[in-house]
Amino acid sequence: MRCFIGIDLGSTTTKAVVIDEQQNILGRGITNSRSNYDTAAAIAKQEALVNSRFHLFRQALGSTQALNGALDGFIGQLERDFRSEQYLEQLADLEQTCQRSLASAHFGDATQAVGVTLTEVFRRLTAEAPTLFAPGANRKSDFFRDIAGSQYLATGETVSKEAGTRYDFLLNVFDRSIIEVENRVYGDSIRRHLLAALERTFVALPDTAQRRTQVEAPIKGILDTELEEAYVVGTGYGRARLPFSKEHVRSEILCHGLGAHVMYPGTATVLDIGGQDTKAIQVDPAGIVESFQMNDRCAAGCGRYLGYIADEMNMGLHELGPMAMKSTKTIRINSTCTVFAGAELRDRLSLGDKREDIMAGLHRAIILRAMSILARSGGIRDQFTFTGGVAKNEAAVKALKELVKENYGELTLNIDPDSIYTGALGGATFAWRAVVEDGKNIEARV
Amino acid sequence: MTTIHTIGIDIGSGAVKSTLFRVTDGRPEWLAKRVERIRRRDPMTLAQEGLDSVLAESGLAANDIDYIATTGEGENVKFATGHFYSMTTHARGGVFLHPGISAVVDIGALNGRAIFVDERGKVLAYKMTSQCASGSGQFLENIARYLGVAVEEIGPLSQSSKNPEKCSSICAVLAETDVINMVSRGIATPDVLKGIHLSMASRIVKLLKVTGIKQGVALITGGLALDSGLLAAIQEEMVNEKVSVTALSHPDSIYAGAIGAALWGAFRHAKLNELQQRAAA
Repeated sequence: MRCFIGIDLGSTTTKAVVIDEQQNILGRGITNSRSNYDTAAAIAKQEALVNSRFHLFRQALGSTQALNGALDGFIGQLERDFRSEQYLEQLADLEQTCQRSLASAHFGDATQAVGVTLTEVFRRLTAEAPTLFAPGANRKSDFFRDIAGSQYLATGETVSKEAGTRYDFLLNVFDRSIIEVENRVYGDSIRRHLLAALERTFVALPDTAQRRTQVEAPIKGILDTELEEAYVVGTGYGRARLPFSKEHVRSEILCHGLGAHVMYPGTATVLDIGGQDTKAIQVDPAGIVESFQMNDRCAAGCGRYLGYIADEMNMGLHELGPMAMKSTKTIRINSTCTVFAGAELRDRLSLGDKREDIMAGLHRAIILRAMSILARSGGIRDQFTFTGGVAKNEAAVKALKELVKENYGELTLNIDPDSIYTGALGGATFAWRAVVEDGKNIEARV
Repeated sequence: MTTIHTIGIDIGSGAVKSTLFRVTDGRPEWLAKRVERIRRRDPMTLAQEGLDSVLAESGLAANDIDYIATTGEGENVKFATGHFYSMTTHARGGVFLHPGISAVVDIGALNGRAIFVDERGKVLAYKMTSQCASGSGQFLENIARYLGVAVEEIGPLSQSSKNPEKCSSICAVLAETDVINMVSRGIATPDVLKGIHLSMASRIVKLLKVTGIKQGVALITGGLALDSGLLAAIQEEMVNEKVSVTALSHPDSIYAGAIGAALWGAFRHAKLNELQQRAAA
């Protein structure tokens, strides 16, 4: 079947969206953008295609009634088993890479002992792997670097203490190996992993194994269907570095405007707060950009501002919003610059202000910057769509709602839980239009 | 003969600096010094440590001290006798380190400031950088960290650059990706550092110009004073901008604020004594 793909290469994460010929979203994929943009784009696309397969499995199994009632459980289990298979392959790769890095390290006499410790660390990591993907298991992140990294650090510390080897040697080997592993694309093993995962799922859910043939047939049918990449459009901060020809690149402004329109056709104004920039876009009823404003390259007013504050406070980025929601008092942050705001935060803490009140002030500060960018782009019109990573932050949304009401009155505010994919969705829609409406062909694909 | 012992404590945003002076009939003698990087610790605790350390180094006891002066962010130090505004302390400290200068340029972790002084250390005019950390000490430190360069290596590396990478002011927080981009474009580390030094230097020279400093010697103080690469870049920019000011540094430049605080403390103590004696008589 023909697929149309949009890839949004952001500064923090790279997102991909796959749509079909009827413009239905088939799948979404996300990965962290590292320094290697080509790989990030390839991995995000692959993730989106895998996600599309699962979407199609669900559709096919749903229509056969083979699993009626048990469908969600089955697909969930299959996906976890698949992730677990993938994780094990990457883990094995990481072990080999670590051993290779060790051979070229300068640890002197300790080298052999570190090698033995490494083997033990990976033995334990492999043994622990199934618990990571058990039903209901709580993973902070789905990126291999984060999962394997936190496991490696914890297990590595215990094992090196037991064995009496130096922990920093283990860290050094990991740091030198992870980028190489993270940048490998495991394209050809996906089918194998899916089939292996299917076997595991039948073991985990014996009820479904009885209906094995009815379940297997549609899944294999979909595995044999080629997801043909009819057209790919790249966008985002790193788009100039994508291995695409110019034909296949659209500015992130155009893609965000169109993506927001596809999500909410009534959209007139879009605010996108991403990792490194904030955009205010005015679109016409067809989703075409009329005007826009962006902030200068300054972290104040973007997601990175909150990231910096989280680092200063030694907290996770996702913990900031909930903390700010507990605020009972308004505190005004006077600094614009992120670094100065960090200093102001420390001052205020030492003066006895409450953390949650300061946090609320910092969230308000970001939104105030966004409001001025919105005003310069032509104000806020109904409907107003808020996208980007910061749209997931409840405290930022609360501050935005208050300020919008104060300045523009009541209007509809749209926030999609998948709004982080807005740019990629716009890209995919451009890809669809290029082929279906403008008759461009596949030949231009790189 | 009157002898006054004073301590000056300068709490900056990057480090806490302490000095101890003996002033005999107006002649200062520097007895002890201490600098401690803050690194997310509590500045007030570090101020106490600085005080203890300079006392130990000079062999004096706490009750030998006539005046404890703070400057910078030190308004809330509980054991201080008095607090001085940092422009005046940097000016006074700069003139102590290098008599005859016409300006002090302080480049700290967050702020830069140019101070126009007379020969006695009186402030004639001053200007500060705006509310943006681009081009500050913390900014340069971040860049060095992204490049994997130790702070001491920055100067020599920058001076070895043959083809500096031009850059305008870069957001201190987003600099990480800018640096990654420069490195991935194949720009050598010395050229990145020199480019950043030149952009910082151009801001500093502009600051000097708007403050009205046109000739003589400008003493660079603050945490970045010992960065030979920055000093060289400032000198280059002065020539480019046709400003006939010579930029100099001093090995103890980082203490300028703390020195000034101690000396102003001694001065105020002497004045207060005088007033009391006059009132008694």
